[in-house]
Amino acid sequence: MTDATQSDTAFRPKPSLPPPANTVGVVGWLRKNLFGGPIDTILTLLGVYLLYLIVQFAVEYGIINAVWTADTYRECLDINLGEGACWAGIGAWFNSMMYGRYPDEEQWRVNLGGIILLLWLIPFWLPKVTGKIQVGMSAVLTFPFLAASMFIGGDTGIFLHVMASIALTLFVAVWLHVAACYVLGRSLPELLISITGFTDKDDRLHKYVLLGAFAVGFVIALIYHMSWDLVEVQTTIWGGLFLTLVISGIGIASALPNGILLALGRRSKMPVIRVFCTSFIELFRSVPLITILFMAVTMMPLFLPVEFNPPKLAMVIVAVCIFAAAYMAETVRGGLQAVNKGQYEAAQSMGLSFWKMMALIVMPQALKLMIPNIVGSFMGLMKDTTLVSIIGLYDILLMGKAAGQNPSWLGFHTEPLLFTASIFFVLCFAMSKYSQHLERTIGGGYGRR
Amino acid sequence: MSAVDKAVPRRDARSISEIVNDERFRSIFYQIIVAVAVIWTAQYLITNTAENLQARGMSTGFEFLSSTAGFSIAWSIIDYEAGDTYFHVYLVGIANTLIVSFFAIIATTLLGFVVGVMRLSSNFVVAQIASAYVEVMRNVPLLLHILFWFTLSSALPSPKQSLGWLDSFFLNNRGLYVPAPVPGDGFDIVIIMVLIGIAVAYGVTVWATKRQMATGQRFPAFWTGVGLVVGLPLLAFFALGAPLTFDYPALKGFNFQGGADVPRAFCALLFALVLYHTVFMAEAVRAGILSVSHGQTEASYSLGLKPSWTLRLVVIPQAMRAVVPPMISNWMNVVKNSSLAIAIGYPDLVAVFMQTSLNQSGHAIEIVAMVMLFYMTVSLTISAALNYYNKLVQIKER
Repeated sequence: MTDATQSDTAFRPKPSLPPPANTVGVVGWLRKNLFGGPIDTILTLLGVYLLYLIVQFAVEYGIINAVWTADTYRECLDINLGEGACWAGIGAWFNSMMYGRYPDEEQWRVNLGGIILLLWLIPFWLPKVTGKIQVGMSAVLTFPFLAASMFIGGDTGIFLHVMASIALTLFVAVWLHVAACYVLGRSLPELLISITGFTDKDDRLHKYVLLGAFAVGFVIALIYHMSWDLVEVQTTIWGGLFLTLVISGIGIASALPNGILLALGRRSKMPVIRVFCTSFIELFRSVPLITILFMAVTMMPLFLPVEFNPPKLAMVIVAVCIFAAAYMAETVRGGLQAVNKGQYEAAQSMGLSFWKMMALIVMPQALKLMIPNIVGSFMGLMKDTTLVSIIGLYDILLMGKAAGQNPSWLGFHTEPLLFTASIFFVLCFAMSKYSQHLERTIGGGYGRR
Repeated sequence: MSAVDKAVPRRDARSISEIVNDERFRSIFYQIIVAVAVIWTAQYLITNTAENLQARGMSTGFEFLSSTAGFSIAWSIIDYEAGDTYFHVYLVGIANTLIVSFFAIIATTLLGFVVGVMRLSSNFVVAQIASAYVEVMRNVPLLLHILFWFTLSSALPSPKQSLGWLDSFFLNNRGLYVPAPVPGDGFDIVIIMVLIGIAVAYGVTVWATKRQMATGQRFPAFWTGVGLVVGLPLLAFFALGAPLTFDYPALKGFNFQGGADVPRAFCALLFALVLYHTVFMAEAVRAGILSVSHGQTEASYSLGLKPSWTLRLVVIPQAMRAVVPPMISNWMNVVKNSSLAIAIGYPDLVAVFMQTSLNQSGHAIEIVAMVMLFYMTVSLTISAALNYYNKLVQIKER
């Protein structure tokens, strides 16, 4: 009885009315985002008109009036009267803008080097692969030597032979490791240990197995590398996008380790080290890159012994590395400051040494927080690499300029710039999107709500 | 007593491992190693440099600064003639760098605020246009922007067909021509009036703030200040009979005479710097506004503040805390990046001093040091000001 009355009189909400027709769906979206009021409407119309003008110009210049086949710039102008782009010139100069004056029949070396680097980095994106940090470190630390011995060629000297062979060994090991992870579900070290029957032995003996396997691989790689017979290609004729990527690649790879060391030095309690790191960072951060480059090419020859005459490229790379390290140091320092003091204290109270505290507790958090800034400075470095054209290295920008000074392409200036701009846009845009993706997947969890 | 004495380990009895593991010992040891390494490297470099200079028969020292430079400079904001000294070249370079940076900074800041607010607009088209602008501009190197606009500006009409505006501004493929102000007698009094106006306005603001703190009564200090700073000089200007005339540029023969001219390279550089750096300013503004949580606005409304007061007293002061540091480092980057002028032949400090003067005189070390000194002075001054501001507005924490 009581139950029935209660359920009869209980508050029973009516189903909600549907929202007004003009606030949902396409109409609602339009009203909210485009035509919210008179000013909004005017802005929208102006914006659409502006877009129309830009698109119209781009289509006319880049497609309708563009010339796709011609042998000289004059031919292009005769066809379209300068009303459209001359993409034919890009076709004619494409190879130069990619490789500079690197000999045509040797360009496979550059391509192969690029492919090896890509293959080396692919395991990063494979979810089942373990030990990604080791994979990355092996690539960053040894690939430059392999690349140097491939790109320069000739008689490389014993040091490059050894380093390149180590790189080859590690590269093969990384892909064996990937195969082991996917086929057998175990890492390469585990596999080697179980094959040789060391599983039951003392843990300390395991590293001998790995060292032995590495030594065998190294000897094979060294013999193989010694058998290489590559024509020498002087660095002075390197150029184009290849040169841009070499300089920025080395700068990027060296920036993070050097930057971390400098940042730690700046926060150190030891006054000598702190003063040294602080003045290094402040000096190179407060001057423009172009002055550092000028310093490198005019002053570095004076600093070095008389008989020692390094190529310009080497001096430029040193300058770029110094510059990149100083900037990265400040980024890393920002991350270190953002890590809660309690984390340092907790790590110390667990009895971790300074380096263990940094490597296991602080750095992972600091670097995660700083992903957008770190990628931002990588992008900045890549863009800044174009400055080497000012001191006369034939990077992609100067190669494009050279195209416009060639007798049969005289005046061909705008298109190489547009082409270069689009290459940088693609590279940098991809980097920033990837950084946003990283931020979403691994950057969260700490310091965010 | 003797038992206690025994229990305390004596200092000189420490084993080697104790010393090696002592933090103080290690710290001193590492510092000595670093100091020795730095000193040794410096000494090595200095010895090499001395040997190199001797081998090449080059002299060192700053005496060359007082010798004649002997080359001409395409355009300078301060007077320069081919017979002037290298030190004068240095000053010309600094002035040219500062003038282009100054205009670039002002335009960047204003445009950056507009684009930043546009990106947050509720209007879809406006927001998307602003985002597209940001993405396109920031993913292309600045040097490319500069070269691109410089190349495009060569397609401007010749002086005879100049683009004119009001018959006093002309743009052609040589540069921009604007009327030059010519101060007459007594114009300095107007300038003095501006300074007096600023001083009095500052005094009024301080007084008004004090009175409001003490009594709660408000005083329209801002508008009084504007009246003082603008009104006083205007009064003086007209009382003295408008002592300012303009020298208008006019086409004579193949080029413009009179007025003030800025070269094409200046225009292209300024345009590219503004386009590129506006992006970073806009991002700073956007991040700053987003950093103020909506709760602050709501709290302010619930206290009964009008929307305009909420914006002025609650939102903007908090947003500024996040906007100002990146804004100032952006300004610093403008000054540094103006050095790319060298690529298009605008005679800035790096172009006239680090390139032309260095090639002519061969004093690499002195010249590089002087150029670096200038840039370091600018950056360190700006960052000192920034640190002071940060201390001022910091939220006090543990």
